Amino acid sequence: MNEAVDLLRLHDLDLIEAELTDARARARMKRLGLSMERLAPLTRARAACLETAERRWLYHYERSNQRYGRGLVAVRDRVCQGCHITLPTSRMPNAAGALTLCEFCCRVLYWA
Amino acid sequence: MPTMLDPSVLDTSLFVPDLRTRRKESVFQELVARAREAGAVREAELLVETLCLRERLGSTAIGKAVSVPHARSIAVIEPRMLVARSRRGIDWKAEDALPVQLVFLVITPGEFTIEAHLDWVARAVTCARLQKNRARLLDAATAEAGALVLREVTA
Repeated sequence: MNEAVDLLRLHDLDLIEAELTDARARARMKRLGLSMERLAPLTRARAACLETAERRWLYHYERSNQRYGRGLVAVRDRVCQGCHITLPTSRMPNAAGALTLCEFCCRVLYWA
Repeated sequence: MPTMLDPSVLDTSLFVPDLRTRRKESVFQELVARAREAGAVREAELLVETLCLRERLGSTAIGKAVSVPHARSIAVIEPRMLVARSRRGIDWKAEDALPVQLVFLVITPGEFTIEAHLDWVARAVTCARLQKNRARLLDAATAEAGALVLREVTA
């Protein structure tokens, strides 16, 4: 988990940012009475994550983010939740909370 | 990607009838811990952090003593809606300045699209905006009664 925590945090921040940059989502949130007006805390938190996250994971994360819109996905029942392909057992990490790369779509995988 | 609301995944047992805390962060910790016990959350700490940050971007209090905090996060395994009640009320920086007595927490996995996530949020807001529903949730005598009301109003 320690290795992953900054990337997981960054991923969640990017999900919020995606909602903020999507005009339809913003309009819908406003109608629901849930507008987000102050962006500074998000920018600060994201900058802090970028400083502390491991370079190699950050590289793969941002690359997949640009390509697919999501750079990090969870693994559920050995299935990558990005490309939905079953991963070989040989690719399973020894410890929970580890990060690996999907050998099919190259997204960063989070093994919870 | 699920875009339809599936009532079977609304765990109506996740009703907290009496919140003791008066701090937002503690409310999130308590509700997220419940969701974790129910198997819906894998990284409780991260989810609380995400909820707190979202709150700093804009209050999730929608008025009439209701707040709808929500998050789409990799820390979430299954979508859930949890409802908590505070008799004393919590200061949530609402526009109408009323202390929040009903908290509808909506959490969805990171794999959800924005639309699917907002469908869940909209369901909570729709439920909370009806005075009849709020009164029934505030008057529910036990957790079971609250859960039953929740099941009816979200069905």
